[in-house]
Amino acid sequence: MSDANQPNMTRRGLLGSSLAAATGATLTLAAGAAAAAATPVAPPAALAGTPPAAPKVEPFLGQHQSGIVTPQQAHIYFATLDLTTTKRADVVALLQRWTLAAQRMARGETGLVLGTDLDAAPVDSGESVGLAPARLTVTFGFGPGLFIRDGVDRYGLASKRPEALVDLPKFNGDQLIPERCGGDISIQACADDPQVAFHAMRQLVSMADGVGSLRWMQTGFVSGERNLMGFKDGTNNPSVKDQNLMHTHVWVGKEGGWMQDGSYQVVRRIRIALEHWDRTKLGFQEEVVGRHKASGAPLGKKHAHDAMDLDATDAQGNLVVPETAHARVASPKQNDGAQMLRRGYSYNDGANFYAERWPPWRQGILYDAGLFFAAYQRDPRTSFIRVNQALSMQDMMNQYTTHVGSGIFACPPGAREGSYIGAPLFEA
Amino acid sequence: MTMRYTDSDSLRCATLTRRLVAIASLALATHLAYADGPKGLLETLHKHVPLTATVPDNGDQNPYAVVVAPVSAGLFERGDVLVDNFNNAANLQGMGTTIVRYSPTTKKMTLFAQLPRDLAGCPGGVGLGTAMTVLKSGWVIVGSTPSNDGNTDTKGAGCLIVLDANGKVADVWAGPAINDPWGNMAVIDNGSTATLFVSNAGFGVGSSKGTPPVVNQSTVLRIELAIADGDKPRVTSQTVVASNFGAQADKGVFLIGPTGLALGKDDKLFVSDAVGNRISEIWDATTRTTSAGIGRTLTQDGLLLRPLALTVAPNGHLLVVNGVNGKVVEIDPDTGTQIYAQWIDNNKAQTPPGNGDLFGIAMNLEGTAFYYVEDEVNELVIAK
Repeated sequence: MSDANQPNMTRRGLLGSSLAAATGATLTLAAGAAAAAATPVAPPAALAGTPPAAPKVEPFLGQHQSGIVTPQQAHIYFATLDLTTTKRADVVALLQRWTLAAQRMARGETGLVLGTDLDAAPVDSGESVGLAPARLTVTFGFGPGLFIRDGVDRYGLASKRPEALVDLPKFNGDQLIPERCGGDISIQACADDPQVAFHAMRQLVSMADGVGSLRWMQTGFVSGERNLMGFKDGTNNPSVKDQNLMHTHVWVGKEGGWMQDGSYQVVRRIRIALEHWDRTKLGFQEEVVGRHKASGAPLGKKHAHDAMDLDATDAQGNLVVPETAHARVASPKQNDGAQMLRRGYSYNDGANFYAERWPPWRQGILYDAGLFFAAYQRDPRTSFIRVNQALSMQDMMNQYTTHVGSGIFACPPGAREGSYIGAPLFEA
Repeated sequence: MTMRYTDSDSLRCATLTRRLVAIASLALATHLAYADGPKGLLETLHKHVPLTATVPDNGDQNPYAVVVAPVSAGLFERGDVLVDNFNNAANLQGMGTTIVRYSPTTKKMTLFAQLPRDLAGCPGGVGLGTAMTVLKSGWVIVGSTPSNDGNTDTKGAGCLIVLDANGKVADVWAGPAINDPWGNMAVIDNGSTATLFVSNAGFGVGSSKGTPPVVNQSTVLRIELAIADGDKPRVTSQTVVASNFGAQADKGVFLIGPTGLALGKDDKLFVSDAVGNRISEIWDATTRTTSAGIGRTLTQDGLLLRPLALTVAPNGHLLVVNGVNGKVVEIDPDTGTQIYAQWIDNNKAQTPPGNGDLFGIAMNLEGTAFYYVEDEVNELVIAK
């Protein structure tokens, strides 16, 4: 499974090659320029003009998968695939191919080792050549359909479906589009460069040819602390630096068997009626969110990270943070301490015809934009499902948001050196 | 028409949230000084308490009709509140098929009836609207104003559906006099006989595309029923008692047409004429054999802003909810005086606050409070 002796090409290797940079060299020219670069090569100081910065690489291998507690990158490509093969071995082989490719691409290399045969299609599309690794992470998840689909145990895995990998219930107000829901396998590719993220996704999907097919895909972006509603988002997220919190709320423990050190991923494509929101008075926006827009502080507080006082009342005895404010309804205090690690991205897929689900039922060509919510948790039954049942019924923000896509996936622990992603499931 | 008081520009709320408004909303009271006791019901109601979400398991949305059961029978107890849903889970209007039941005793919401979308004998199928009643005999009668895509472009003429007290379909009434039974029913219930008044807002209404015309073809139909012991209600006569009300297709709110009906003293029937922004008075409502046309204007404009469902308070006053803001207006039916309004839903997610949120309204059996629905959040609320 080693590629060390094969012709090779790294993005950073090419970036560092004056020849390649100067001439727009062909892939063949670049071959071997940085062969087997397990560690990306920093650009020569003379080229960069400044001392070389540490390469921004997020290793694929590890105890946990990357892309979960990894500091959030600026771009996401998320996709799910339906497996079409009936053979377990095909699935294992695909996971092995993906594991190798993900390692390579995280280092800034092409997904597969490029050949020189002019009569063959390139095995990598090549658009990442010359680009930095951009902290690319690839995170894989297993949907319920991997274990059993339409009552059929295709791969002998039905008995290994984790109890926590439940089918998400229908929540109040859901308007889920089947073409944007579910999937047997999820792939989350995140990077600081959208082309790097899409490149990774493109190669991985291509490698699934004949084994599985693309079901749906979602792109997203994040910049700074604010979401498309203009509010700071994620302020109340548990700190990824707090290992205890991560083990309590994010990483699956021994109770998970083969899922130990993995995490459950829930994604929701949440359309936001931006036109409606943009016409809403600032004061009411803050009531809806439960925070001040400028500072991000909880209502009645000064600073974004001030603790929210859910009991505070004003001079008239009214709650300062309204009873149906998003921040209150979602708060751990209101949900038996439930927490999850949110890792959402904004999205805008242009504009489409929509009929709003709130008075006065605006209809027309409206933004298809919102939040691609992604969250990781130790047990979705006591985290996302618990919280979203409350949110779907009580959150004032529901007058602006509609859940149109959904998925739940068991993200296995990280792959170890010489092994592959999901091995504990298939080899247990 | 005389307005003694308006709060429309002065309602002041300490908070912007709907629920907190419920706690401290009667700002109008601060403007009133009573030398001779209250002038109406609204000033005596100080709390607005959300009771239940109205969304059943199938996800239906947009609660319309609100009816209080006068008796215990089958699945409901006396005093229970039945609420139907106009939209399906995809929020397409005219496709809701469910009636839920709220019990003030258990404080729980349960499903009372889930009807098939395609119901034999009901042209266009089932989309439950504001026309609903529970008779003393335990029968439930509900109107369908159906669509296949959430717009009037695909609407059918609908029907009236008779359900037994267990929520099972017992009969379907359709015919040339019934076309999208839309408004809340006014009912005289004598047990073995009953008289229903139903507004039909579908005649001549077409596509909602472009600028749909106002079509002056809506009617109020009086339906006489005979209800033999152990047998389902039977229609003994139908008479159009009012006609030529305006109706208009609307791509936002589906249909604007006569929506509220209430009976007053001296055999008067009151009709909320949403297009005309007026309350109409039909005289000799139970005896007339011809149409009174659009009737006499009891009151127009002022605090009214697309009046929808109507009910009668114990003091004889009319309560009508506005479609374009979240207010309920109290009207003296003897003089046409608009006494005042109360902003029972000032949700600022809409402009003006509460726009499109209100629809059905019904007094509790004790006459001390009224129930209403908030469409934007799919909730049943009590004002008490």
